[in-house]
Amino acid sequence: MGVPVHTRTERRAARRAGEGGRRIEYLAFRLAGESYAVQIADLAEILKPPPITEVPRAPWAVLGLVSVRGRLVTVIDLRRRLHIARASGDSVAALDPKARILLTDVGSGEQIGLLVDEVQEVWRLAPEQIESPDALGGVEPGHIAGIGRPAGVDGPILILLDLRPLLAAP
Amino acid sequence: MVEGGGGRIDPGDKARDEFLSEAQELVDGLGRDLLKLDETVKKGQLDPELVNDLFRAVHTLKGLSGLFGVTRMAGLSHQLEDVLDDLRLGRVELGTPVLDLLFRAVSAYGRILAAEKGQLEEPAQEVEQLLLLLGQVAMRKTGGVAGPAALYDLDPGLFGVLTEYEEHRLRSNVQQGLALYRIRARFSLLTIDSALDELKAAARPHGEIITYLPTGSGADADAIELEILMASRASIDVLRTAVERPDVTLEVVRRREAPGPVSLPPSPATIRPTTPPLAEAPLRASLSRRPPVGGEGVEMSLRSVTQTVRVDIRKLDRLMTIVGELAIVKTAIAKLTERARRRSTGPRELAVELQRLNRTFERHLAQMQGGILEVRMVPLGQVFDKLARVVRQISREHDREVNLVVTGAETEIDKLIVEELSDPLMHMIRNAIGHGIESRDERLTAGKPAVGTIALNAFQKGNHVVIEIEDDGAGMNPEAIIAAAIRRGIVTGDEARALTTREVLALVFMPGFTTTETATDLSGRGMGLDVVKTNMGKLGGVVDIASELGIGTKMTITLPITLAIINVLLVEVRGRLFAVPLANVEEAIALDAAQVRTIESREVLSVRGTSIPLCRLGHLFDLTREESSRGRAFVVIARIANRRLGFVVDELVGQQDIVIKPLGRSLHAVRGFAGATELGDQRVALVLDVGALTEEVLIPVENRFFATVDDPGRRFARIGGE
Repeated sequence: MGVPVHTRTERRAARRAGEGGRRIEYLAFRLAGESYAVQIADLAEILKPPPITEVPRAPWAVLGLVSVRGRLVTVIDLRRRLHIARASGDSVAALDPKARILLTDVGSGEQIGLLVDEVQEVWRLAPEQIESPDALGGVEPGHIAGIGRPAGVDGPILILLDLRPLLAAP
Repeated sequence: MVEGGGGRIDPGDKARDEFLSEAQELVDGLGRDLLKLDETVKKGQLDPELVNDLFRAVHTLKGLSGLFGVTRMAGLSHQLEDVLDDLRLGRVELGTPVLDLLFRAVSAYGRILAAEKGQLEEPAQEVEQLLLLLGQVAMRKTGGVAGPAALYDLDPGLFGVLTEYEEHRLRSNVQQGLALYRIRARFSLLTIDSALDELKAAARPHGEIITYLPTGSGADADAIELEILMASRASIDVLRTAVERPDVTLEVVRRREAPGPVSLPPSPATIRPTTPPLAEAPLRASLSRRPPVGGEGVEMSLRSVTQTVRVDIRKLDRLMTIVGELAIVKTAIAKLTERARRRSTGPRELAVELQRLNRTFERHLAQMQGGILEVRMVPLGQVFDKLARVVRQISREHDREVNLVVTGAETEIDKLIVEELSDPLMHMIRNAIGHGIESRDERLTAGKPAVGTIALNAFQKGNHVVIEIEDDGAGMNPEAIIAAAIRRGIVTGDEARALTTREVLALVFMPGFTTTETATDLSGRGMGLDVVKTNMGKLGGVVDIASELGIGTKMTITLPITLAIINVLLVEVRGRLFAVPLANVEEAIALDAAQVRTIESREVLSVRGTSIPLCRLGHLFDLTREESSRGRAFVVIARIANRRLGFVVDELVGQQDIVIKPLGRSLHAVRGFAGATELGDQRVALVLDVGALTEEVLIPVENRFFATVDDPGRRFARIGGE
């Protein structure tokens, strides 16, 4: 009575948050074989792709429009936006069943959908688990916020994206 | 308001929203009254009641803003109240400088309200300056009524009992050179009310009753003698026949034969030499400057800060009735469901019943839709009133005399459209005054009336509202336009020669167009006409221009009555659905290939003896997949103003009422679409912006303008892409 009941996951999450200081939650997803991640705080929801309506004359990266509960949302193909060629045909109709739309909300007043190949998992990254993008050397694309190594040396490598510059000009 | 719809009302504090909308209304009313006052002052006759109205409105605003902690507004109101009180009591002369300040105060109110809504920075500096100027006005107060008392044979004790307002009226009547009369009347206490009213009624046509006071003499237990002080232009004989009866005597209040100055009125300065005379010159100078707020001046938005609509309660009652009807349908469906569950009704019977209910439901829904649309409608007068204020201000800035004639202010249009209209209209009026109306001397030389006229006309035409802005100014000089367009690189000399007059006039709507070499105070400000046009296009409207040199210019805006719900024709082009607003569709016919000719590389269809240029949407939009295999096609003939264009499509799908939604900011650069709509099955269809497309396809200037950028269908992809 009156004692809050925590699930195991919640307890673990609370413990981690306590020990790691300012851990930030990232959603990892797959795009052209690589793992990328964006801050969960910038996402509103994850959608199974509804029918997408092409917009003629739109910028190339814009896949089209979808309706999310009556609201129009512009969907951007993240591969095209990042200039990663799609392996097989470049067709909207032939979407992988695992493909998802990440509905972003970065406070610009417009929610924009990002099409990704597959949503993977949520990581809580501590600052020491994030390498600065400077590590990449050479040209530093403004939309890469860093490299995440959530599970040490042998674990996966996440390319952390900063959505703001990415969405500023599709 | 196309962007973001109506959804940006701050959550939470409802009372505050109400305050804002009430304050907005008061400020709007203030603007209206001020205009009326301005008119009466121009005619040289002051209506004291108007000043009283203004005073009351400001007083209310003061109370409201104090209540909601909007200190800046409260402070302004307080100072304004003082000035208006002084005006009311004649302590300050009502002239153009003071009126200008009052008009500025109204726009400052507007800015404060906008700031309260978080749309603008607090106009701190402007309000400070305004307060200072208003304070100066209050300091310029003139003295009491020493003049009349000294000049007329009046009991000095009289002034001890006059109210300040009466004193002012006395003074101003004397100043206007009216004669003063003293009426002594004896009233029976039993009938004094009606008798006094009678007397007042008899006297009123001849002048103003300033005050009436008991004389204290000649009174007995059941009678009272009043002394009535009256100002009149009429001769004593006329007055005598009007008011005299037994018990009433009338006499002229004689002027004192004083050696002092006979001229009236004594100037304030001579009465009170100690009052620091308000430096007239600095005040004028600071008035003629534009308000020092971020270079905005009048260019500041005229939009209201609230999105509230006032609704006639009867309209709501009708809606409520319809809701009642819908509830009945719902009950019927529930009963039917129950019967179906118990299997007490056969399937055929069930189907018949359902069909009947569906019909009823549809009918009520249509009524509901109509009713709600009606609620959204507001009279254009809302924006016209504000424009009248702008006309006054701009014409003073440019030293032009302009008369604004408004007709059709009662024409109703969707609230959202009204809001979007105010700024473009303001700009067009600014243009008409700045570039159109000539100076007084030029006008007189040209044999025109000295005062220019701008006519603002509105009327409904089918499902559209037409707004005309017509000036009787200098008109547009086609040669000057061409020269300017060439200078700006909008057209080349060769191209210009090929243009018709109409096409030449259309050049003023091109981005970057201006006739002025350097950005002056006038042309360098605000948006260009191209923005006006684009904004109108977003509202589904078109702007047309007609001008005759030396006679004047007329701009015509044609707008749909509502944005919210439109009836569209759904068409299919290479597997994609598009919606064409039916308001723009003249007819849709099967494409008869035999009737298509190619004239100068443009396909033209002959329909009943007229030629209609064709536009293949598949090509225009560069749609590659799924070429129509059926081998047939249709033409949707669209008409915008008096241009016609046939859009070639693969299939006509049907008509539908849709709620049109704007494309997001990320698709801002994409031209040719008015928005998109969800079709009910999660599919989205783009709604064609027929006006923009027609223009893009038909207007040669624009084709040439973009001709350097390879394929027109691709050009936006390049601009937006990288």
